[in-house]
Amino acid sequence: MAKKKRPQRGNPQRRTPVSRSFEVPEARVVHAPETPAPAPAFWFGFEVPWAKLCTARVVLFGLLAIDAVLQLRHAPRYGATDFNVAQLSFLDGLGAGRLAYGACQVALALLFTSAALGVATRFVLPIATALYAWLYFGSQLDSYQHHYMIALVLAVSCFVPWQPRQAVVRSWAIRLILVEMGIVYLWAAVSKLDPVWLDGTALDSQITGSMRSLILGTVGFKVAAITVVVVELFLAFAVWLRPAWKLAAPIGLGLHLGILATGFEIGLFVYDMLALYILVIPDRIWRAASEIGIFAKLGALGRAIVNSAGPPMLGLAVLAGVPIALLCRLPHVFPLALIALGVALIAMVRSQIKQQRPTAAAPLVVLVGLVLVFAVDRSTTVAIDYYRFWGGSQRRIGDVAQAEQAYRGMLGIEPHSEIAHFYLGRILIQTDRASEGLEHLHAAQRDEPGRARAFVEEARYLVTVGRKPEAIAKAKDAVFADPSDSDAKALFDTLQGTAKLAGPKRPDPDDD
Amino acid sequence: MLANIPHLGPLLSTWRGRLIGLIVVSQLLIPLHYYLGRRDPHDERFAWRMFSPMRMAQCTPDVRIDGKRFELASEFHEAWLEAAKRGRFRVVEKMAARLCRKNVGAEVTLRLSCQYLGQPQPTIYGGFNMCLADEI
Repeated sequence: MAKKKRPQRGNPQRRTPVSRSFEVPEARVVHAPETPAPAPAFWFGFEVPWAKLCTARVVLFGLLAIDAVLQLRHAPRYGATDFNVAQLSFLDGLGAGRLAYGACQVALALLFTSAALGVATRFVLPIATALYAWLYFGSQLDSYQHHYMIALVLAVSCFVPWQPRQAVVRSWAIRLILVEMGIVYLWAAVSKLDPVWLDGTALDSQITGSMRSLILGTVGFKVAAITVVVVELFLAFAVWLRPAWKLAAPIGLGLHLGILATGFEIGLFVYDMLALYILVIPDRIWRAASEIGIFAKLGALGRAIVNSAGPPMLGLAVLAGVPIALLCRLPHVFPLALIALGVALIAMVRSQIKQQRPTAAAPLVVLVGLVLVFAVDRSTTVAIDYYRFWGGSQRRIGDVAQAEQAYRGMLGIEPHSEIAHFYLGRILIQTDRASEGLEHLHAAQRDEPGRARAFVEEARYLVTVGRKPEAIAKAKDAVFADPSDSDAKALFDTLQGTAKLAGPKRPDPDDD
Repeated sequence: MLANIPHLGPLLSTWRGRLIGLIVVSQLLIPLHYYLGRRDPHDERFAWRMFSPMRMAQCTPDVRIDGKRFELASEFHEAWLEAAKRGRFRVVEKMAARLCRKNVGAEVTLRLSCQYLGQPQPTIYGGFNMCLADEI
């Protein structure tokens, strides 16, 4: 999409079809593209060094791949109780459900991995953009404004030549991404031209942690609030003007690192912005890095791997990728891994049919993508959160069957979860499976002996079946477990004969 | 006429240029909708109002069916309740519409009380039967 198909050169029998992503054409000799830029040169003559473009590609799409896996924890809220309000009203009935959302996020992780590695970007980016836009615009459950921005950036990035063949790349789409950033800063500044912001009240109410202490100990919130507006107005015009980059890069990076220090819960917004700032860092830095050979060496290594023989890499992807997918605790990973391996196989067969040498690019993407999903899965609580949120929401809205399924899924990946044992125990007792339910309550008591609620729940059950002495003993255990638990104390007092037996005093939140 | 404007004419003479123009103009204009035409001040989508004072607004939806208080948490996912607490009109209106469909003939009253930063008194929206009105 970004560039026209070039006539094929060299021996057509043994061409390497898939990826030129790691090539560093004359990396030490920076030269402009051969053809003169069509007017207006502001757009069509915009050039960036290869090293900058490739770094931006790896970092931005790598981050988006990680973000896609992290978003999986929110899947249970999609389609819950068949209620949806889309960002665009005509999509109200077309929003993703839990399964579709989860599967699409795993698919996005693999597609972004492919884009990060520079493999088949002209195919994977439009698909990724369509999926991303559907998930974002399909529901107001996604309230991150930067996801809207990323949807726009992705749409434009479909036109970026991410697999450059020259040391200097000409791309109007990169200029457009920078202009979009400028527009975002402009409107962000306009939104803060409000007395409540300008007097520091809004900033004061939002900032916590070390950044709060820093502001209070230095300039104060009023000056900081005005500074933010001035900086955003400056960046609105500086991020897309090359001569201003030497100021825009440190100021913009400082702004976003400052936001990072505030500890706002804004997902990967700051990291996405920092990734985009790679495009704002002055070209001379990238040229200097190229001249010392960093990118040439990395490029040569990447080229050697990507363009190596395909069948051995496919074998490795199957042998390593399938166990990795099976070890992932997140849902949807295994079926999507099989689909991805199938696509890699088809790509290689297609190359063979076209009498091209099948390269390792496609199976490498699958393998790297699965390793990334596995690493994020195992290094975060995203899989546990998925089942915990699913169970919590279904329990609250009364879908006992799905809540049970969720908690059993949670125990499948975290056998010593007090939360899962406790709620599963409660559900089983409520649905006349008391024996199994009590086993789970006992497991909850063992897993978190300092938490009273599983003891309380068992005591309540014992009361209902007329085993009051045992109930009193269990209530006593509950008080011992957590003397500060008011439910435990109230139940114990009640069973001692001083008050009427009461139910749980408040509904439990979804996330517990 | 546009074709005769310096710089703009050559730009709009290609599909790439027209795409650039469309994206830039739309991105400049879409946020204006918030300031000029949006009926819901809490709905800051597509306006790039990150960390704005409005983001700090806290709303309390109160839904009653035939005068009896209805617990939204029993019908809607917690994430939608969060959107309602941000005062999103479209979300609470769709919640009310769903309750009207499920309780045919009943009176579903929706009252949204919003507290804004720097304002001592809350602002009240709605308070009437949503089964007879589409908008709060």
